[in-house]
Amino acid sequence: MSSPSEELAKKIASKLVTAKLILPEDEVPIATKLSEGQLKPEDWRLTIEKGIDAKVKA
Amino acid sequence: MTKKAPNKLTIEHLRGSVLPFVLSFESGKKLTVVYGENGSGKSTICDALEFLGNGKVGSIEKRGLGKTNPYWPSLGKKPSDVSVTLETDGKSCRAIMTRSEVVVSPPDERPHVEVLRRAQILNLIEANPASRYENIKRFIDVSAVEACEDSLRESIKSVRQAQTIALTRFEENRQTLENFWVEAGKPGKETLTWAEKESKRDTSSSALEANSLDYLQKAYDHLKIYPIQLDSANQKLKTALQFLTKAEGDLEICVKGLASESSDTVLMLESVKDFLTLHPNPVVCPVCESKDKVLGLSKRVENRLDSFKTLREVQNRKSKAEQAVLQARQQIGTVKQECKKPAAEFEKTKIAVSLPKDTPLPKNAVPLELSEWEAWLKATAELPLAWKKAETTRRNNAQLIATLNKALTAYKDNLLTAKELEVLLPKLEKVIKIVEEERRIFTDAALATIANNVGELYEAVHPGEGLNKISIVLDPSKRASLEMGATFLGVPGAPPQAYFSDSHLDTLGLCVFLALAALDKPDETILVLDDILGSVDEPHVDRLIEMLYTEAAKFRHCIITTHYRPWKQKFRWGWLQNGQCHFVELTKWTPKDGIKVINSIPDVERLRQLLNEAAPDPQIISAKAGVILEAALDFLTQLYQCQVPRRPENAFTLGDLLPAVNKKLRTALIVEVMKTDSAGTIRYTSTSLAPFLDELERIAQVRNVLGCHFSEISFNLLDADAIGFGNTVLQLTEALTDEKAGWPRNGKSGSYWATSGETRRLHPYVRPS
Repeated sequence: MSSPSEELAKKIASKLVTAKLILPEDEVPIATKLSEGQLKPEDWRLTIEKGIDAKVKA
Repeated sequence: MTKKAPNKLTIEHLRGSVLPFVLSFESGKKLTVVYGENGSGKSTICDALEFLGNGKVGSIEKRGLGKTNPYWPSLGKKPSDVSVTLETDGKSCRAIMTRSEVVVSPPDERPHVEVLRRAQILNLIEANPASRYENIKRFIDVSAVEACEDSLRESIKSVRQAQTIALTRFEENRQTLENFWVEAGKPGKETLTWAEKESKRDTSSSALEANSLDYLQKAYDHLKIYPIQLDSANQKLKTALQFLTKAEGDLEICVKGLASESSDTVLMLESVKDFLTLHPNPVVCPVCESKDKVLGLSKRVENRLDSFKTLREVQNRKSKAEQAVLQARQQIGTVKQECKKPAAEFEKTKIAVSLPKDTPLPKNAVPLELSEWEAWLKATAELPLAWKKAETTRRNNAQLIATLNKALTAYKDNLLTAKELEVLLPKLEKVIKIVEEERRIFTDAALATIANNVGELYEAVHPGEGLNKISIVLDPSKRASLEMGATFLGVPGAPPQAYFSDSHLDTLGLCVFLALAALDKPDETILVLDDILGSVDEPHVDRLIEMLYTEAAKFRHCIITTHYRPWKQKFRWGWLQNGQCHFVELTKWTPKDGIKVINSIPDVERLRQLLNEAAPDPQIISAKAGVILEAALDFLTQLYQCQVPRRPENAFTLGDLLPAVNKKLRTALIVEVMKTDSAGTIRYTSTSLAPFLDELERIAQVRNVLGCHFSEISFNLLDADAIGFGNTVLQLTEALTDEKAGWPRNGKSGSYWATSGETRRLHPYVRPS
């Protein structure tokens, strides 16, 4: 059984992908870091910026 | 991963197990009910499982004993004598006691054990909200995500700050450009266009011109030294000539006062002096060999030489003056020679291409004669100031454009940053919204699941009482604080502790415990409920037991200890879902024998065993079959509300009960028996109860004659009559009840009565009129 944090992290990462706020390839790494409490402020910014950049390029 | 069902629990010298005690679990049954009077050793079994699974003995905690370890071994035994072993298929796990801890080997096989004791049942209900949260947090603890949420907030905060800074700097840069524009006289239409244009201006020519002007000034400055040097050399010459003239005059005077041959005389006198130094007392004059005046000759020679000293000094002075004149003339020549190079350099600098066209220059070239330079320099003295000014102007211009460029770049950079952050910030805010919302939904859902499970369990025990709407909510104003509420008289959110009876609270506590245990790897969990039926109201006990039977199926194994006697009787009569239940009865514990098990089997099973004996006992069979038949008829007459004679304490006999199931009802009594074939297809076969009841009415006297009292009449009865009676009762009971699923008491279908799982369907639903 996965921990509550792991379950919630997966849901959040999936929602962020659906909302096109992060890239699909970042879903698993983000979920993992979220469940481990390892996402630092700069990680958040970098991940969201990646999503924005990809949108701009597209 | 589902863990295998336990086979055997062996307890050695823990608490009441003064002798090794073995509890064998019946294969295929997930529930073991351990029945025993108080002091029979039930809690020792629970302690053993807790000792093995959790390394503690909970039954003696909170009794004011302090550290309880010394009391874990049986009296007279050492900690090293204590061991608990749980065996599963081919594997076993053993816990032993050391001085300071419980050691389990192998650790991987250590079972997950959840124990609830009667004394703990209200813990969760009566606990304060924070303690309640501690109990539930493992199901809702998302602190890792919350930590990342805090990081996200930090990120948003820093982006907001960065945006503010970028906008402030952008405004500062804009103001700087505006100032430049104003200073430049507001050329063009507006600041930015002008700044863009200005910033693109080539400043390299200004720098080149400024450098040329700088060279021109330096070349001009070089010229200034030569008139000074010439003047100095001329001055030296003048002085030297004056000295020479004086020396020559002095020499003329001196020479006039001396004989013309004086020079030769001086030479001769100096030679004589040298001779006399070597020969201080000559006998004759060394020159004329005369002995006259030879005495005092040396003194006289020195006197004469002194008269020639002034001449020599004047000659020296003249010689030096001549040398000085010569040197001064040479210096003048050198200066005149050296000044030609800087003069040429200056003339060359004057015509450099990079020199600004409007540069003021001397009207005349540098004079060839150095002596004319002073006048020339005087005439051009104003020019260097003009050159310096022109240079400064050009340098300031380059500097201005560089500063303007810098300001424009900073303006653009900050504008870009502000725009990027303007895009980023809403995204981050959207992310935090999603994270917060998902966390809230997740936590609420987890709590709702727990609350619903608690509510369902509670409703199963207290159906229709309207107390099932349990709510468990996190207090948003306090971290890690959990409030519990229930709907009471239609008012939601009422604290159960305030309105529920002790019995209801007990049930609620048990339901909370079961709901939580079922959430945490139930298929790996051995659930131990130690004497938890204590204060449950009698009307609710059956439903509570049925609920426990149902819930037990979710776990790896469930052990319930009880001293509730009706449970034993209900098991005996097969009233409960005995199919999955292994019933164990303990006898009174004694210091000599410790904990002992006696076998309990349902009466129907006992009748079957009696009938299968090689030499069946007619009297015992009649007695047992008679009691079972009474139980069956009691069930039917109650179910169909049949008319029986009123008697004190409802002491009905077979003579009362059998006729009560009248012909109409008897004919209508059909039992559908569920059969499952090898392919898993379920089919029902119908059996009418009338033939059994008719036959039993015919031979019921056998029971009275053989099974109840001593009677001579029994002498005339055949053993076969008693065995026939027993067999018919067994057939009736087997048709009517399912030894695993109990009796058909469930009327939810509205058209028949069914056992649990509908293994039996009894028709009709109501007694035919």
